[in-house]
Amino acid sequence: MATRRGVGIGAFANRNQTTQSYANHGATLRSAHLASLQTQLSVFQSLLHTFAVEHGSKIKSNPTFRAEFARMCNAIGVDPLAGSNVKGKNSRKGAGENASFWTQIMGGDMNDFYFEVAVRVVELCRETRSENGGLIGVEECRKRVGKGKAIGSGLEVTDDDVLRAVQSLGPLGPGLAIIRVGRKQYIRSVPKELNTDQSTVLEVIQVLGYVSVSMLRANLNWEKARAQTVVDDLLADGLVWLDAQGEENEYWSPQNLLDDSG
Amino acid sequence: MSAAAPPFQFPSTYSFPPFFTPQPNSATRTSQLQKWSALVQSWCRHHRTYRLTLSDAIESPLFYNAALRKRLSMKDARDVLDWMTKEEEEGGGGQRAEWLDGSSKNVARIWWKRPEEWAGIVADWVENTGQKNVVLTVYELVEGEGTMSQEWHGMDTDVMLKCLNVLVKRGKAQVFGGDGQEGVKFF
Repeated sequence: MATRRGVGIGAFANRNQTTQSYANHGATLRSAHLASLQTQLSVFQSLLHTFAVEHGSKIKSNPTFRAEFARMCNAIGVDPLAGSNVKGKNSRKGAGENASFWTQIMGGDMNDFYFEVAVRVVELCRETRSENGGLIGVEECRKRVGKGKAIGSGLEVTDDDVLRAVQSLGPLGPGLAIIRVGRKQYIRSVPKELNTDQSTVLEVIQVLGYVSVSMLRANLNWEKARAQTVVDDLLADGLVWLDAQGEENEYWSPQNLLDDSG
Repeated sequence: MSAAAPPFQFPSTYSFPPFFTPQPNSATRTSQLQKWSALVQSWCRHHRTYRLTLSDAIESPLFYNAALRKRLSMKDARDVLDWMTKEEEEGGGGQRAEWLDGSSKNVARIWWKRPEEWAGIVADWVENTGQKNVVLTVYELVEGEGTMSQEWHGMDTDVMLKCLNVLVKRGKAQVFGGDGQEGVKFF
């Protein structure tokens, strides 16, 4: 006789059946859920599309608006940059169904915009490398790109645009990278890792303007040798400039020099 | 330099204390020398001067930043000018300066425009004012009323002669006479 708990061979079949129907039901639920999510997503994307088309010119011309829009895209997992990166492959074929998100909605202008910014950032990094050792603040970079070199060549951008532009160069190799030191973000254009001590010193310079060995010893409780080694390393990499005319050698960051270079 | 002239606008580098210490890192040093060269040139341009006497200039605001109490030492200032005299191929500043007193290296000509650049400007001026085939004295060219508005007005005569020589070599001018009585004819 078969009880609910089931004994004997029959019970195995019974249990299998139960598991199976649970699994089936689960799958049904999942696919229903997926379908509804997909609908939502496609609705959303089409709304985003409409929005982008409607406000296209504003997105292109207004940096704040552009940044907000990009942030919104990011929040819902539409990565405009992922779009930019595949653009190159598709551009020759024309805007096919594989064309990037940005290309689809902005007709390619948006990618071009970021590439334009990226070109200027790379130029700037190259020009100033001997001055700052290949480390340039995102903020300084933005100001400089904003000013432009020739009259009328200024490009009004936000920090966000600069970051995005640098990231868009990712597929070309690790030439440029964003690093964070303290509260500031930098674009690093020489392949060099900063160790913890070096970052700490750069952070101190951000706050105090400059450092000296005795300041490091007093503030961070470092041994003299340690402090000296760190500043010597930074000096050797061209990341700080030396002022030997004070009572003690002072080390300054060249980040504010950009105004008149070139 | 006249008192009425607007004060010279120093670049932001000038307020950067390490600017006055020769940088130990060679790449940084190059960048520093470029900035000094640019500063010396724009300083001379602003003051319309074509020669710099180091022993005087060393105490002037050019090399002495009173606000920061930082200065370029005599040796460092000489190094800057020395660098400026070299050609770019030798890792120098593109012959923007020229020592006028040989090895004592105290007085230098500052070419804030190279002779070739001046030659081009003068030639354009001659063209635009229709003075081809006209004979001018060099004095007239430098001090005359006709060139009051030109950038080279008041230029040392020997500097002007150097620039004119460029045009002579190009076959665009002929210089004759001598001893401060030089005349020039443009073609």
